[in-house]
Amino acid sequence: MLPPFISKYQLTAAGMAFGACAIGVIGVLEPDFIPHSLLVRLTLFAAGLALAIGSQLLLLMPHWSNAGLGRKYMEALSHFDPALSPPESIADSLPELPPDHPLADGFARLRECFAILVERLAAAEHVRAGAEVRARRTASERDQLKEILTGLSDPVIAVDQHGEVILANDSAQNLLGVKSEETEHPALESLNRCQELINLLTETRRRKAITNRHGEVSLADDDGQQSWFKISCRALAGQAEAAGDRTSNHGAVAVLTDISGLKAIQKRNAEFVSAVSHEMKTPLASIKAYVELLADGDAEDEATQEEFFGIINGQADRLQRLIENLLNLARIEAGVVQVNKTPLSLNPLLQEACNVLQPAAEQKHIQLAVELSPLYLGLLADRDTLLQAAINLVSNALKYTHSGGTVTLRSRLRDQEVVFEVQDSGVGLSAEDCQKVFEKFYRVKKDKDMAAGTGLGLPLVKHIVEDIHRGRIEVESELGKGSTFRIVVPGIAQISS
Amino acid sequence: MSKRILLCDDEIHILRAAEFKFKRAGYEVVLANDGEEGWAAIQRQLPDIVVTDCQMPRLTGLGLAERIKNDAATCHLPVVMLTGKGFELSSEEIRDRYGIRALVGKPFSPRELFQQVEAMLTGRELVCAADNAASRWL
Repeated sequence: MLPPFISKYQLTAAGMAFGACAIGVIGVLEPDFIPHSLLVRLTLFAAGLALAIGSQLLLLMPHWSNAGLGRKYMEALSHFDPALSPPESIADSLPELPPDHPLADGFARLRECFAILVERLAAAEHVRAGAEVRARRTASERDQLKEILTGLSDPVIAVDQHGEVILANDSAQNLLGVKSEETEHPALESLNRCQELINLLTETRRRKAITNRHGEVSLADDDGQQSWFKISCRALAGQAEAAGDRTSNHGAVAVLTDISGLKAIQKRNAEFVSAVSHEMKTPLASIKAYVELLADGDAEDEATQEEFFGIINGQADRLQRLIENLLNLARIEAGVVQVNKTPLSLNPLLQEACNVLQPAAEQKHIQLAVELSPLYLGLLADRDTLLQAAINLVSNALKYTHSGGTVTLRSRLRDQEVVFEVQDSGVGLSAEDCQKVFEKFYRVKKDKDMAAGTGLGLPLVKHIVEDIHRGRIEVESELGKGSTFRIVVPGIAQISS
Repeated sequence: MSKRILLCDDEIHILRAAEFKFKRAGYEVVLANDGEEGWAAIQRQLPDIVVTDCQMPRLTGLGLAERIKNDAATCHLPVVMLTGKGFELSSEEIRDRYGIRALVGKPFSPRELFQQVEAMLTGRELVCAADNAASRWL
């Protein structure tokens, strides 16, 4: 088996050279074997020597060539700094060795190793880059969550399994006067403004306890503003588990929701129901009392009986008005009233209201005067509700005016607005009454000869004017001198009637 | 000598019904439209008993009862409260803080109110009629 770097041609050339040399040597040494001329012999010898040397050169040339490649290889490698050059650039820069080079296989393996290394490095780099992206995303999400928590108007507070406050957003810090920073975790007990919250969080943290708890507390903030909060507590079981601790308590998080508005609505509703029940019981109490007096035969004379029947009738009417007003108010507030706005003239509507109430005014000996504008007062209005508002105002004025007094209904045009007002010479309102007179069931002190109101008439007028007709209602009054209720609604035309 | 009763209510019809019942039974009846008027009437002449509504303008029935209880000249006066409210307070508070001896719920029976007042003035025990469960002694 021939060594891989010796080809058969080289072997042949070497053999020939060797043969020629041998002939030359023989010729020089044995003059009889070849012509005697010294020149010929010397020439032959020289030729044999040249062939031998030539074949040797031919033989060695590949070695030299390979040695040169190897040097180049090593030189190329020596230029690389492993710290600066990436493996793939080293692999790419390695010169190719001819397949018959004695180091070709070795270097080929080396290139393969480099290639594998490059692949693994690329995979590792991919993993590292992915991890970096995830870390950045996590950090960004954490910052976002922190920002969201900080910006939440609902106070949020969290304690760890050791009972230390690990999180308190701005709202919680303001409300509870506690500071929680990354380096400083105050004890749960430092939330001394709200013992209820401490109790809830402590109970929720207990292992094997219910993991969700709720409560309601009233708390004052730094400005002393009292608010109602609903507390929702939830155990953070993962904390202790993550720490490998299966015996200690859990952490817990509490979210406080401001329910002051809800409480106020509940209170208003309760007050409303209480007021309605009181308002209903009052006429009912009269009816029952007089029925009993009549039934027991206490009212012996006819005049007394008639008086009692009259009171019963009046109180039944009052109850009916109350129920109607309640229903109307509820319908308007719920927005279920069928509103049909059409262009109409105000004066005929006011005249109609006066006609309705004229008998009541005469019965009470009150002069009901009408001073309507000579102009056409056009407005876009829902006829039924606006008539109801006018009737309520006039009826109210009659109610709070003594016998012999005057109630005047006026209308006029002011700028682009249509105005109508009801002025009475009645008992008048105090400044406080003027403020509260549109509240449901608010009623001013009345005299003995005044019929009881439902306490819903004026709130109803206010709704009709403001919510349905986009107008406004004003009141001017002085105690003992009478009141003026004024309704102002946008007009649509100014045509002389 | 007839007994004097002060009736205090801002509802004139209630006042009229009670006035009618007590006058018919021979009582001297004094009427007031609110707590302040009631207190002024008491100052003028002491009644034997006060029957008052709870919800009234200026001075409520509770305010009037408290004033009566805290004044040495009037603290002995029995007070009956005639109201649809008042039951939101505890019996102890109504009795101890306001000195109210009995509550009569609205709607009320003039007959029962009269019987209760009579019983209170004569010191007799009264069994409340079953049809007015809202009324109670304190």
